[in-house]
Amino acid sequence: MAAKELPVVPSARPGTMAAGAAMEKIREQRPVIDQGKCDLCRLCLFYCPDAALTLNQGQVTVNLHFCKGCGICAVECPVRAITMVPEYPSDRGFLEK
Amino acid sequence: MDLITSLAEVPETELFTGGHGGCRSCGAAIAVRQALKALGPRTIITIPASCMATIGGSDLTTAWEIPFYHALFETAPAVASGIRAALDIQGIKDVNVVSWAGDAGTADIGFQSLTGAAERQENIIHVCYDNETYMNTGGQAGSVTPYLAVTPDTPGGKPTPRKDMLAIMAAHRPAYLATASIAYPLDLIQKFQKAKEIQGFRYIHILAPCFKGWGIREDQTVQVARLAVESGLWLLYEEIKGQRRVTYRPERRVPVADYLRLQGRFKQMDDAAVAALQAEVDRRFQEVQS
Amino acid sequence: MPQLLNGNEAAAHAARLARVEVLASYPITPAAPVMEKITQFITEGSLKANFVRVESDHSALAAALGASMAGARSFLITNSQGLAYMSEVLYHVSGLRQPVVMAVVNRALAAPHSRFPEHGDAIAQETAGWIQFFCENNQEVLDSLLQAFRLGEDERVRLPVMVNYEGYIQSHTREVVDLPDQKVVDSFLPLVRRPVLDVENPLAVNTVASPAVYMDYKFHQDEALKRAGEVAREINAIYAGLTGRDWGGPVSGYRLEGAEIVLVTMGSLVSTARVAVDALRSAGEKAGLLKVRLFRPFPLTEIRATLKTVKAVVALDKNIVFSSGGALAREIRAGLYGHAAVPVYSYILGLGGRDVDVEDLMAIYRQVRDQRQAGAVPAPYQWYGL
Repeated sequence: MAAKELPVVPSARPGTMAAGAAMEKIREQRPVIDQGKCDLCRLCLFYCPDAALTLNQGQVTVNLHFCKGCGICAVECPVRAITMVPEYPSDRGFLEK
Repeated sequence: MDLITSLAEVPETELFTGGHGGCRSCGAAIAVRQALKALGPRTIITIPASCMATIGGSDLTTAWEIPFYHALFETAPAVASGIRAALDIQGIKDVNVVSWAGDAGTADIGFQSLTGAAERQENIIHVCYDNETYMNTGGQAGSVTPYLAVTPDTPGGKPTPRKDMLAIMAAHRPAYLATASIAYPLDLIQKFQKAKEIQGFRYIHILAPCFKGWGIREDQTVQVARLAVESGLWLLYEEIKGQRRVTYRPERRVPVADYLRLQGRFKQMDDAAVAALQAEVDRRFQEVQS
Repeated sequence: MPQLLNGNEAAAHAARLARVEVLASYPITPAAPVMEKITQFITEGSLKANFVRVESDHSALAAALGASMAGARSFLITNSQGLAYMSEVLYHVSGLRQPVVMAVVNRALAAPHSRFPEHGDAIAQETAGWIQFFCENNQEVLDSLLQAFRLGEDERVRLPVMVNYEGYIQSHTREVVDLPDQKVVDSFLPLVRRPVLDVENPLAVNTVASPAVYMDYKFHQDEALKRAGEVAREINAIYAGLTGRDWGGPVSGYRLEGAEIVLVTMGSLVSTARVAVDALRSAGEKAGLLKVRLFRPFPLTEIRATLKTVKAVVALDKNIVFSSGGALAREIRAGLYGHAAVPVYSYILGLGGRDVDVEDLMAIYRQVRDQRQAGAVPAPYQWYGL
């Protein structure tokens, strides 16, 4: 039985946690953004612990592999454009792109 | 150097990606994401034992997009000093060397190496992300845990007041010193922008709540960080070569009780204790504003 | 060019010749003069290096580790209390495969408090994964330190190296030491940089290792330490070619031809033992000496090869592993086990600086000879000089 091939210096390469991210497996609620209400203040992008919210072509979008459903964004949005919607196991096949 | 004036100017690149192992609503992760927006990719970060050291890397995966080293508990500022010495001797410039520690790695077990690095005026930035307890080992009390806070090893409430790390670090006469809060990202990012341009020892202390240790709802992390500032309990200022400038002043302070009652860890505080704290906050607020 | 240098001065010159780039070191008696001399070299311009004036021994190794990971050749000194204090950092340095070189000026561990030499401090760190050299004299201190940089940095090894010599007996005693030319050293020690903390190639170093990988990392580390013995031999040969000084491999023999009872030891006792062996041979005794130069990795193969045909081995340990005996005796017995049934007599001596002279070694030899003749099985270990 041979030892695993590993880097000489115990270390990991960038991008590897993002690539394997699957927070949909633990999430119990997810944010839904009312784009009409959103005024692009960007606070939610900076309050998200998981870099799940980004601006894509002028709209705030949620990376559902990163989002753990903490709900901070919904609480903090100054214009209440974000609502947390419960997620149940049966919902987890459907992910927004 | 142009300080950003709005969040729209902040670069989009993520240097601490999603997929990390932090709890939902982790205040530490919010802090590092915001700080790295200012520091940028030419940054080497060393983090001693703490939640922050562990959530970003496991086996062969990591959320870090910059060079990172998970250091021994006591050592982050010493490691950072060695890194800087190595970069300097190789003529490698324009790299931020950051030791990023929790409260234990800053004020307690890490204090020896911190005070040494500060005295030597090492050209590094030490950041304390402060959740006011030893969260990585389960939330036990440390020297900066507030008076009367209930923790797993102070179940009757911590019997001593919080150690004043800002006064202690100010006494080292750092090139730059600042307080910050994850609830005020523009202020935090500007401070890191400033710190980045200054040579010498820089100290930034960020209040970053932890829902588990503080006994709050998960989604209240930022809200409670804001209340700490709005009540005057956590002052936002910076000191450049000892000259203080308040960077945010709440227009009308909210009562400290509004901040305390949201947190399960302060259930041992009776009215007298709350009043005493309010008086202390009032006194300090007046002192700092002048 | 030959100079009269004590061990500390020799070590400082070695660091200068090796062009160390970062000195991150904390003073401790009797090693501090090494650091002081290096800072003088820096101030006077004969060495271009950065000195991190750390506030503790623990921080010293942490800073040296940081510097090494950021690509610089790093060096420090310590011993006894400082070495024990930085113990947890030793494991980081070896586990992260960083070629930090450290001069350890061996001194007894408190309590009770002692300033004086013995090997207990280094032996206490035998499991830390560092290569460990023990030097016989000040020339060997200089030469071993230079070899240590090349050995630790070798692609097949990539491990930190401790070069041990004894406080006062060696550190503060002047002997003739020949300093090789800077040009010779430069050709022997080309600059090797392997930064793992590099903004051009970011890595997350020391991520949390699960049971799925930790043991494999340790296996690779063990393989590297095992390879170090052969690489040390190779490097010594290259150095011998450049300087004319050949310290042999991990072990070297003295008057082993026809030897029946062989003294085995490390450090300054080796030079005392040479004199004792000469005297014993003159008296008709078939005495010999085996010097152990590398304690880690322990030279099991060489031990077997050189000792399997002798009648008795006398292990002289300036250390005590309480209730177990001397570390050298234990390693030798482990090396011979299953290969040769040679009795190993174990002596604990010289602890806390208690002097051991030629007469003592000759008395031990005669004791062993008499015990052998009486057919006695060697005790697990015996104390000498109480």
